[in-house]
Amino acid sequence: MAAQTLPQTRAAGRAWSRYLVYGLVYALTLAWITPVLVAILTSFRSNSDILARGFWTLPNSISLQSFFNAWTRGGLSHYLPNSFIITLPALVGTLFLSSLAAYALARFNFRGNRVIFFIFVGGALLPFQILLLPVFRLTDWLGIYNTYWALIVFHTSFQLGFCTFVLRNYMRTIPGEILEAARMDGCSEFGIYSRIMLPLTIPALAALATLEFTWIFNDFQWALVLLQADALKPVTTGLASLQGQYIMDWTVIIAGSLIATAPTVLVFIFLQRYFIAGLTLGSSK
Amino acid sequence: MAGVRFEHIFKRFAGGVTAVNDLNLDIKDGEFLVLVGPSGCGKSTALRLLAGLEEISDGNIWIGDRVVNDVPPKDRDIAMVFQSYALYPHMSVYDNMAFGLKLRKTPKNEIDKRVKDAAEILGLTHLLERKPKQLSGGQRQRVAVGRAIVRQPAVFLFDEPLSNLDAKLRVQTRAEISKLHQSLKTTFIYVTHDQVEAMTMASRIAVMRDGILQQLDTPQNLYDHPGNIFTAGFIGSPAMNFFDSTITGSPQEMYVDAGTFRVRVPQQYAARVQPFLGKEVIFGMRPEDIHARGFEPGNITSAPVNAQVDVTELMGSEIYLYLLSGKKQFVARVDPRVRVHPGDNLELVMNMDSMKLFDPKTEKAIYT
Repeated sequence: MAAQTLPQTRAAGRAWSRYLVYGLVYALTLAWITPVLVAILTSFRSNSDILARGFWTLPNSISLQSFFNAWTRGGLSHYLPNSFIITLPALVGTLFLSSLAAYALARFNFRGNRVIFFIFVGGALLPFQILLLPVFRLTDWLGIYNTYWALIVFHTSFQLGFCTFVLRNYMRTIPGEILEAARMDGCSEFGIYSRIMLPLTIPALAALATLEFTWIFNDFQWALVLLQADALKPVTTGLASLQGQYIMDWTVIIAGSLIATAPTVLVFIFLQRYFIAGLTLGSSK
Repeated sequence: MAGVRFEHIFKRFAGGVTAVNDLNLDIKDGEFLVLVGPSGCGKSTALRLLAGLEEISDGNIWIGDRVVNDVPPKDRDIAMVFQSYALYPHMSVYDNMAFGLKLRKTPKNEIDKRVKDAAEILGLTHLLERKPKQLSGGQRQRVAVGRAIVRQPAVFLFDEPLSNLDAKLRVQTRAEISKLHQSLKTTFIYVTHDQVEAMTMASRIAVMRDGILQQLDTPQNLYDHPGNIFTAGFIGSPAMNFFDSTITGSPQEMYVDAGTFRVRVPQQYAARVQPFLGKEVIFGMRPEDIHARGFEPGNITSAPVNAQVDVTELMGSEIYLYLLSGKKQFVARVDPRVRVHPGDNLELVMNMDSMKLFDPKTEKAIYT
């Protein structure tokens, strides 16, 4: 009998710990998602309704007016395109340049290879906040302050470190014999990079593209520092400037935020496989 | 079509390793040359030097009538089959084979014809649309060969192309490569650590060790007349038995005295062994030249030896006997009808016509 009760208590213990874990997971999920749900709910309400009855109440009417207001009066119709005008070139530039650097670092033995690699890694570890002032002055000196170029150039350069690090480690896992075979088949060095290495690096590139898109698209700090003109602002700083401008129209700000989130959410939904891969990329060889 | 010549080739790597040490090889047009040796002997490096994947430290490599030291790999008119096959994972079988031709701007219909011909020869026609990961190991190997064939190079290079295949497939592919060589009649240079592959396929074998060429000869000559102890031990399986011995007796009647047994030197070798009378030698005898008494062929110069059976391994068509003569262990391949058990004492017969003697100092064959 004793022999039977022991496994039973163990099984009971396991069941309990499972309930506990699930309970915790649901509680955390709820805590995480509540603000989002309330935001979605709020975006369908009118500002007067909220001012009269507060956020945590049920709406008395539902409309899409706030989204419309955010798009037109709130300026999202030009903030959102701005975000893409900044994000997409920066993304392409980062991936192109870092894949070139990574290819050289992964495949060629030359003096200083390691040093250059560590500089890239070090660059990725640098807290960008300490660069606010120098970068601001540099863009001014370069004559690109308050242009799209300021953001495109500096996002590209700041993301190069991390991307080069990740891609270099990934490219190291591609068997060298494949590249040698291409060399014997008559590929030029750039041909090996573009026709063999890049196609084989697509998983890493996709993962990085997802991560980088989110990071660059969501950037607030550099947009705040390097852009002044309202016409150039991306969604992040554009939304912030709505505060107070329209006597704190909460529903417009919230609807605007939801619109601003949509691209990253979409990217995540369609590329989440790569996103998760990206989080662990470079952590193991 | 071209021959290949290595002329005093050296390859020194950073860190002081000399991977290839003064290699001289003259490979005739249409020859099937196998470079064989244990891992780290420099055979693969030699091939990579020829392919242009490594830089030559010293010497000249000729392909046909030009020195190719500074010619990039793609212009050397060679094609290589890699150990890992090195197929392009993102391309179909067809594109894998066509890639090199496309880069050379070969006309489309010509590419199509060559790829399909190669696929036909290699039995890949139904697989042309597949990606490498959808193929078995043997099929991948054939695609790698196909990629080389379509290029119609002057020289084919093979870097251990069979070592990733299972034993049965290896034997089959070995024969296919031999057949391919016979039909293409192009120069094949083939690197392997497997002496069986070398013996079965090569027109000539180059045995290498520590970057130095040990011997270059036909498989039969290499087996019958190994030039030194290394080659003697490397070619043949199980390996040749070696006994530290002394030549004793009189000029008319010389014996190899291994301490625990004594065998008479046959008359035909007497003249050449005579200078070593009274001196130490290493006596070599292949396992297949040691027979159990009663099962020996009739036309040999036999010498009786007694030994104790240590371990028996039945191979089906023969038995490997691990024998002890005193404390010295040696191997014999005997007739499968021999019934013995570990611990038994066994009367054996050595075929003295096949005896080998080596100088213990230089390790060179005294006569072969």
